[in-house]
Amino acid sequence: MSSAAEAAPAGADESSTLMIEGLVAGYGGVIALDGVSISAGAAAITAVLGANGAGKTTLLRAVSGMIRPRRGRILLGGADLAGRNPEQMVRAGIAHVPEGQGVIAELTVEENLRVGMMSWRGALRRPSVPARAGHARAANSRAERAAALDEAYERFKPLADRRRKLAATLSGGERQMLVIARALLARPRVLLLDEPSLGLAPRVMTQVMDLVVRLSRDNGLTIVLVEQNARVALAIADHGVVLNLGRVVASADARTLATDVALRHHYLGF
Amino acid sequence: MVEFLQFTLSGIVFGMIYAAVALSLVLIWRGTRLLNYAQGGMAMFTTYVAIEVIYRTGSYWAGFVVALAAGIVLGAAFQVTIIRPTMNKPPLNGVIVTIGLLTLLEGLAGIFFGGQYRSFPAAFSVTGLKIGTTPLGVSRFDVFTAAAVLVTTLALAAAFKYTTAGLRMRAAAFNATIARLSGIRVARVLTVGWALAGLIGALAGVLVSPSTFLYPNSMDTIFVFGFTAAVIGGLDSPVGAVVGGLLLGIALSYVGGYLGSDLTAVVALGVLVVVLMIRPGGLFSAARVRRV
Repeated sequence: MSSAAEAAPAGADESSTLMIEGLVAGYGGVIALDGVSISAGAAAITAVLGANGAGKTTLLRAVSGMIRPRRGRILLGGADLAGRNPEQMVRAGIAHVPEGQGVIAELTVEENLRVGMMSWRGALRRPSVPARAGHARAANSRAERAAALDEAYERFKPLADRRRKLAATLSGGERQMLVIARALLARPRVLLLDEPSLGLAPRVMTQVMDLVVRLSRDNGLTIVLVEQNARVALAIADHGVVLNLGRVVASADARTLATDVALRHHYLGF
Repeated sequence: MVEFLQFTLSGIVFGMIYAAVALSLVLIWRGTRLLNYAQGGMAMFTTYVAIEVIYRTGSYWAGFVVALAAGIVLGAAFQVTIIRPTMNKPPLNGVIVTIGLLTLLEGLAGIFFGGQYRSFPAAFSVTGLKIGTTPLGVSRFDVFTAAAVLVTTLALAAAFKYTTAGLRMRAAAFNATIARLSGIRVARVLTVGWALAGLIGALAGVLVSPSTFLYPNSMDTIFVFGFTAAVIGGLDSPVGAVVGGLLLGIALSYVGGYLGSDLTAVVALGVLVVVLMIRPGGLFSAARVRRV
């Protein structure tokens, strides 16, 4: 039961499929990922589930370059990106929203968003950015940056009202909105989300999950969603992967996983 | 009353120099959580470069510009060659490296330039200004000193606040992880931070040396006062560095003027202790506990 590639929605760009093959990573003498292979389908949501210490966060950290994989390949659009540093990963189209503490509290909302565009200068040419092909052509003029900011404010209206406020003043839901908006400004093909629902009120959590769904359906983003809350994650995901002690123990359609009672009891605790 | 005015004005002038040194320390601390003990040594060295250029070209301003440029180059070069390898190591490694660098620079200065006291020229007249018949206790050069540091500080503050490069530096200082994930080449940004610190340190060296003479250890005291000013300001805050420098400069000027100059070092220590007792993070720090 290794990696079954998810059937992508019609029109999805196959170059946005993220293939992780035999990834080994760890900290010092500890192996946190032991030969993990996952295929995250283009324009689909892949939920990565598992208990604490299963290796979920390490997986995202390895894919975004925050830790260097010891072995294995990270394939996006035909290129093996394993071993690149985070600055290069975001330029290659992988944006990582880490767990908690994602906003830079000392900066204003608008400054946080501008940080999201720091990868633009000198970015690799990406002729095919799904649903935004028009943007990719014009290099990085001031007008284009302003337009991208406006677009972010249009999508996230609560941020527009607070653009001059320090990010420290935002509520939990607004912070999550801000970090996702910032990641989107990098114009990624792949979005890695680490526990986006953590610490949010149930209603706000629902809004964030709705947003994740729309990013995949409407914008064609490939999303890898790490969640402690397996029930919520499987409800919106297309595909699910269960990690245990650094290995993939299940990989299947999200509905199949959600109805597999034995697996749920054993690894997911619900 | 006249005395009080004189002490205040000369306190402000020296305070601006402490502020410059403090600012250079803060720039590096914010980015790397490292206290650069070699900052004074670097400033001493660039001031020697300035004096050699002035001696050979006969132009003060040529020496001035070369010193600032040397500060930039020295700061960037040290960061890339000897600081960067210490960065993923325990914090003490970086501290030891900067102390070693200080010793090295002071030794090299002795070898290249000699250990004797040398007088350093001033850009403008050093005779005291007067309003009517009242002497102000400061000279044209003192006014230039205060103005140069002030202009540099304001230019830097504006660059930090309003330019993309400034935003990049702030983002890298506040949250290096997010900065890297957003595509900011943090290692490069830190090099720029060291270069700017080198520039400001070099400025402080050129400005203070006409009143202290120049010798391999001549910046040691200035460094200690600059460090005190930076800690008073909170180590994290450029504004705090400047305010801390001014407070310390004025306080030490009163002490030196009214009580005698041999007490200034003791009072500097006293000010430091009192500030740290009342506000352990410094006057301008956000209320967060940091490891030191």
